[in-house]
Amino acid sequence: MKKYYIILLLCSLSMVGCSEFDEDINVNPNIPSEASGTQLIANAQLYLPSLSSSPQGEFLAQYLAETQYVGVSLYPEGSTSFYWFYEGPLMNLQTVLNSEENLSGAEGPVANQIAVAKILKAYFYWNLTDRWGDVPYLEALQGADNFTPAYDTQQSIYLNLFELLKEANDQIVAGSIENDLVYGGDMEKWKKLGNTIRLLMALRLSEVDEQLAREEFNAALSDGIMESNADNLVFRHLADANNQNYWYEQVIDRNREWWALTENLVEDMKPVNDPRLEVYGDPARESGEFVGMPFGETEALGTEEYSLLGSDIIAQDAAVHLVTYAQALFAIAEAAEREWISEDAETYYNMAVENSILQWTGSTEGVDELLNQPGVAFDPDNAIEIIAEQRWIHLFMHGYEAWSEWRRTGFPDDFVQPDGRPVPTRLAYPDNESFNNSDNYEAAVDRQFGGDDSIYGTVWWDK
Amino acid sequence: MRNKITLLLSMIAMLQFMDVEAQERVITGTVTQAQDGMPLPGVNVILEGTSTGTVTDFDGNYSISAETGEVLTFSSIGFQRVRRTVGAEDVINVAMEADLQSLDEVVVTALGISRDKKSLGYSTQEVDGEDLTIAKDQNVIGALGGRIAGVQVTGSSGASMGGTQKIKIRGVNSIGGGDQPLIVVDGTPISNANFAGSAGADYGNLGQDINPADIESVNVLKGPAASALYGIRGQYGVIMITTKKGAAEKFTVQVNSTYSVETTYDFMPLQNMYGGGSSLSFRTLPNGDPYVDLSVDESWGPRMDGTPVRQVFSFYPQDPTYGQLTPFVPHPDNIKDYYETGSTFNNTVSVAGGGEKTNFRISLNDTRIEGVEPNTHLDRNNLTVHADADVVDRVNVSTNFTYARNDAQRPGQGSEYGANYLVQWFQRNVDMNRLKDYRYDDGTFLHWNLRRPSSETGEVTNFNPLYWNNPYFNAYENLSQDNRDRFFGDIGITFDILDNLTLSGHIRADLFTQNIQERTAFGGTSLPSFSIGKYQNKEYNYEFLAQFDEEWGDFSLNANLGGNIWNRNYTYLYMATVGGLSAPGFYNIDASIDRPATSNYLLRKQVRSLFGLISLGYADTFFLDASLRNDNSSALPEDNNSYWYPSISGSVIFSEFLEWDPMSFGKLRASYAQAGSDLGPYETTMGFGVGTVYGGTNTLFVPNNLNNPNIEPSFAHSYELGMDLRFFEGRLGLDLTYYQQKNKNQIINLDVSGTSGYSSTTINAGLIENEGFEVAITARPVQFGEFHWDTNLNFAKNESMVVELAPGIDVYTYSSTTYSSVTSYLNSYEGMPFGSLVGTAYQRDEATGQILLGEDNKPLYTDQTHNFGSVLPDFTGGFSNTFVYKNWRLSGMIEFQGGGQFFSRSKMLAVRTGQDPVTVVTNDRGANVRDPLDEGGGVKVEGISAATGEPVTAYVDARSYYRNVVGRRIYEEWLFDASYVKMKELRLGYSINKYILGNIPVENIQLALIAQNPFMIWQEAPEGIDPSAISTGAQSISWYESGQLPSVRSIGLDLNITF
Repeated sequence: MKKYYIILLLCSLSMVGCSEFDEDINVNPNIPSEASGTQLIANAQLYLPSLSSSPQGEFLAQYLAETQYVGVSLYPEGSTSFYWFYEGPLMNLQTVLNSEENLSGAEGPVANQIAVAKILKAYFYWNLTDRWGDVPYLEALQGADNFTPAYDTQQSIYLNLFELLKEANDQIVAGSIENDLVYGGDMEKWKKLGNTIRLLMALRLSEVDEQLAREEFNAALSDGIMESNADNLVFRHLADANNQNYWYEQVIDRNREWWALTENLVEDMKPVNDPRLEVYGDPARESGEFVGMPFGETEALGTEEYSLLGSDIIAQDAAVHLVTYAQALFAIAEAAEREWISEDAETYYNMAVENSILQWTGSTEGVDELLNQPGVAFDPDNAIEIIAEQRWIHLFMHGYEAWSEWRRTGFPDDFVQPDGRPVPTRLAYPDNESFNNSDNYEAAVDRQFGGDDSIYGTVWWDK
Repeated sequence: MRNKITLLLSMIAMLQFMDVEAQERVITGTVTQAQDGMPLPGVNVILEGTSTGTVTDFDGNYSISAETGEVLTFSSIGFQRVRRTVGAEDVINVAMEADLQSLDEVVVTALGISRDKKSLGYSTQEVDGEDLTIAKDQNVIGALGGRIAGVQVTGSSGASMGGTQKIKIRGVNSIGGGDQPLIVVDGTPISNANFAGSAGADYGNLGQDINPADIESVNVLKGPAASALYGIRGQYGVIMITTKKGAAEKFTVQVNSTYSVETTYDFMPLQNMYGGGSSLSFRTLPNGDPYVDLSVDESWGPRMDGTPVRQVFSFYPQDPTYGQLTPFVPHPDNIKDYYETGSTFNNTVSVAGGGEKTNFRISLNDTRIEGVEPNTHLDRNNLTVHADADVVDRVNVSTNFTYARNDAQRPGQGSEYGANYLVQWFQRNVDMNRLKDYRYDDGTFLHWNLRRPSSETGEVTNFNPLYWNNPYFNAYENLSQDNRDRFFGDIGITFDILDNLTLSGHIRADLFTQNIQERTAFGGTSLPSFSIGKYQNKEYNYEFLAQFDEEWGDFSLNANLGGNIWNRNYTYLYMATVGGLSAPGFYNIDASIDRPATSNYLLRKQVRSLFGLISLGYADTFFLDASLRNDNSSALPEDNNSYWYPSISGSVIFSEFLEWDPMSFGKLRASYAQAGSDLGPYETTMGFGVGTVYGGTNTLFVPNNLNNPNIEPSFAHSYELGMDLRFFEGRLGLDLTYYQQKNKNQIINLDVSGTSGYSSTTINAGLIENEGFEVAITARPVQFGEFHWDTNLNFAKNESMVVELAPGIDVYTYSSTTYSSVTSYLNSYEGMPFGSLVGTAYQRDEATGQILLGEDNKPLYTDQTHNFGSVLPDFTGGFSNTFVYKNWRLSGMIEFQGGGQFFSRSKMLAVRTGQDPVTVVTNDRGANVRDPLDEGGGVKVEGISAATGEPVTAYVDARSYYRNVVGRRIYEEWLFDASYVKMKELRLGYSINKYILGNIPVENIQLALIAQNPFMIWQEAPEGIDPSAISTGAQSISWYESGQLPSVRSIGLDLNITF
């Protein structure tokens, strides 16, 4: 107190010292002023399950139907925000990439930290552009330097991401990194992941630029992709409410039995005794049988009569499968069928189905029987469709990815049109972009969709 | 010389003596204040036309010699002159009315400097403590509503339980809406912080820790001209509160007791024809019994015609009606039945007194409130002390302090809490009285929405509530408890170093500890949880002031020079369980299943200031004020943290030279000033956020708000021009003020495109211009014998215009709300009035304006960016009246608002869920709209087909029309005008004076019937939605309503005894 009167007196008499405060008074003691690269990467990894765990994705791929509050599965027009991609994982990753000079090698080789940041950045952007179309890329993530980033075309984003993934592949050196929630710092796995993402991205261009697709596909393949399910990009939730599965929170914590397996899914799997069905769902409580719910009914049908989500799917510590060996195998099978590579499509198709079952059930029991079932057994005359059908079953619960593959291939071709509304072909941009970034938003909408930011616009690769 | 004077005096005395001998006698009496019957000392009692007079003593007594037919005049500053003709009586008691418009009124202005009101160059409006508390509002901010032109008070009806009251002075001055004025009590700035969110328990604004009964007066410094002396804290105005002090050489004890009962009213009308469910027919159990669909929280079910059905209670094996069919009938009052009669019991005792050199007042208050929601209460105690003493000659030591204690269990507000969701989602057939016993003997909780019974067994197997808790479960199990200990006050020393120079020093403190605990119990819709927070604030002001007063002939000078250091230290500790609780009933962080969420926080901030003020006067006619303040804030960037705030104002009392009989007083005033506002600490540097810990790995992230190292304080420039006029010796008064306030460089967290990597950034942005005028009219239209009528009208019109935002940014989103994937916004657009409501509208045909219909004949709607215009009112005001007849006094206070709008989610959902009466009307084909279309039912829709452009008239299914389209997506339909005229307070009082009481040792007794919020006189919005109580909690701008608490009316008795 005496101190303040001395200051007051000095201040009054001389105006000296009025504006000089204790040095640390405006230093925030409540948050860290520094972060290590791997801690920022780890935080970005926490967003991985959000790429898949969302009812919207499951409805777009028609894996799940709504038992109550039917609404979102009827495909109403409406915007979906992508801000979380940028504000969350991408900004953390970009901060790592921007601070390459200052990263500490104590948490693993800096080159590897950078490589991991690039692979994850590419993965998040890939998901982003596939859902919305053109999005800000080059001018994005610059903070105060650019609050209104221009939208880049999907084509240029793909090209940039291919480049980014190549850089990552090329710069990985020996030595693991710390704080890696996904691969425990194993850089070999990161390398394979980066190339697998590139492979799958390349396949996505099959309809729009086959030559580029084929080149990138082969380049990725030769750089080395996943070799077993152990290489999968999986986010493992923990049996801890801080790190729990979205579906656990919804179904168990909040008592929301709002989702049942769709009729299409059950009807594809049940007649062929697909061993994955028992993982995907539970038998209906009422009949003890697997019963799918018709997708897109406008009235709620109930929870007793239909198969709800399986206990593994809704487990608190469920694993969320994002980029998988089986999906890569389906991609190779398709590439073989397209004659991008000189491999046997059937071999890779069978491996894909086998590894999918292994991934979902933990064993290969029932694989051979399943592969002999009509409609599942490889059919050279109908290879693209049968690959796509099985890929759809494999990608269960990763609805957005399955929906992208549906948009590309058109399979499965029996998706329901609820109330006559077709399945959307993209997500509409966030409303706030029309407030916050209006000129660029409007330019992007005009360029791609003739001014109508609708869920029925088509993205560049969707031909 | 001296002899001559002595001689003269003797002669005068002789003359008087001789007169007495002729006809004179001694008249005695007591002079009291008419308003409260308190004796009035110091009143001049003069024999009219002579220089003979006396002054009343400390008990208001006087005696004077006069003869019959002579006239006694009683006068005292602040009171109306009274003339009484001496008749046959020897005793003349006089009750003096406070002067309507005292010309010599002294007001307390910035820094506690007392000034003659007439000398001020800016508008100031003062409210007497007595007027403030006519209906015993517990919250001083709430009590100000309608009393001062240009001051608008908003709050929810939960305010009856100590909830939040917010104040806006002259419109919205901050783009971010956070423009709360500074509250200063006896010179000590106190925190008016708020721990409430926009939903949940409303812990109230902390300014209410001052006991309204201790308030002598409140002076609102509306514009920066008045508040410039507060510099960086004065941008949004200042509320100066002066508390009561003791009177010298007089000892009084005052006891005040108020008891009131609170009841709810104004419920939204709901239909009573159709009950719970989603189709007109009942579902059936395996045995064929029909049952009410307990898995639906809507009322689109079968007609409530008394059909015996299985209702939800009958599925609980513990229930007496288990397995039984009961008639399916409406329970029209099922929502109203939930609420109880609340009560408030408020007792204050104060003791005041003083000697020649000392003065003190101590008051003690105890308030107990039982809420209208079950199991809610608020207990409050206040201790307020004032004491000062002249310790040695010319040196006075003083202290003021208040200790306040609050202890509450409060209801939640907003749609997810208590019973507030019931107008939104409910079945009209559910009997609230059955829900009251919410727990069966075996511990099972009773809820009204469950999974359907098995179609095999007909039994319900899962008794967890499906969507909503039984409201009684919320009230008795999910508790929100809070308490606060608060101490604020000052100690000071004043040294009259010379006759015209005074030095003073003060140390002022505001210290509080707020504790908040919340519980979520086992057995409801949510995971059980417990959270606890402790929030501690310490604010100190160290202050020095030198005051110099001098007069030279017609010139007067008042100069002040001072310095102030403001130091704030705020900490909190908050913990919450994660993943559930380990055992029912054990509410402790130790019960957390998973790693609990914890945070500790420290805030430090200091502002150092120097200031000076000079007031010049000439001939009591011309006045000029100039002030300058320098503030240095630790929260601003180090190299740019010192700012200057000047003000200048002047006034001319033109009535001094402009002679016009009806006008007794006329003043013209003008001012210009700057005041400012800075930001919280730590907002100029970046750090990292601490993310979720994953299996032992600490993650860190880049925060979503981008801090700005180049931030500057914001500045408000205000211009004010006004006129104060008094006519007919003060019986009519008119104060007019025109102002313009330019709020520049506002510090806001501007929402930016997330693609920049940030969701918002702290910037200096924009220019909001407020322009408006205020009118205050006071009058005594009728005065007739012992009856008079005083009236007071306040009216203010303000326009808040967003002139500029930030370069490249033309929209600022203040807030948004999303429901069922439909979002509405409160946006501000550059070049438009502040605060546009934005959402979905009907698509309309451009040529005719008619609604466009889709192929299913349902209305089409726009995207969510339709601008419906500003939510702010066009004008606001208050109208108060007092009628006095002898000892009776009737006062009433009306508050009104014109214009403004809001969106009502409750109304929308009442329609969506089939509870609103509109969903059961008879259509023009004579059938109920719910009847099947082929039986003549359906809602008649008229519009233009979007496909063909042809006009369409069609009937559509009521449920899908209301539930899926209009009641869900089209916000245009649920916008309501917020205009209203409301009776805010009423009081009928009777006072018994000392001379009536005779020998009883009581000075005065007052008894009054009081009513708060007794009724709404008129409103534009539909019944059941109170447009005056829309904003909840800390939400600073009212723009949408959801789960509003019902209106609460308070009626009680107020007893005041003075010894």
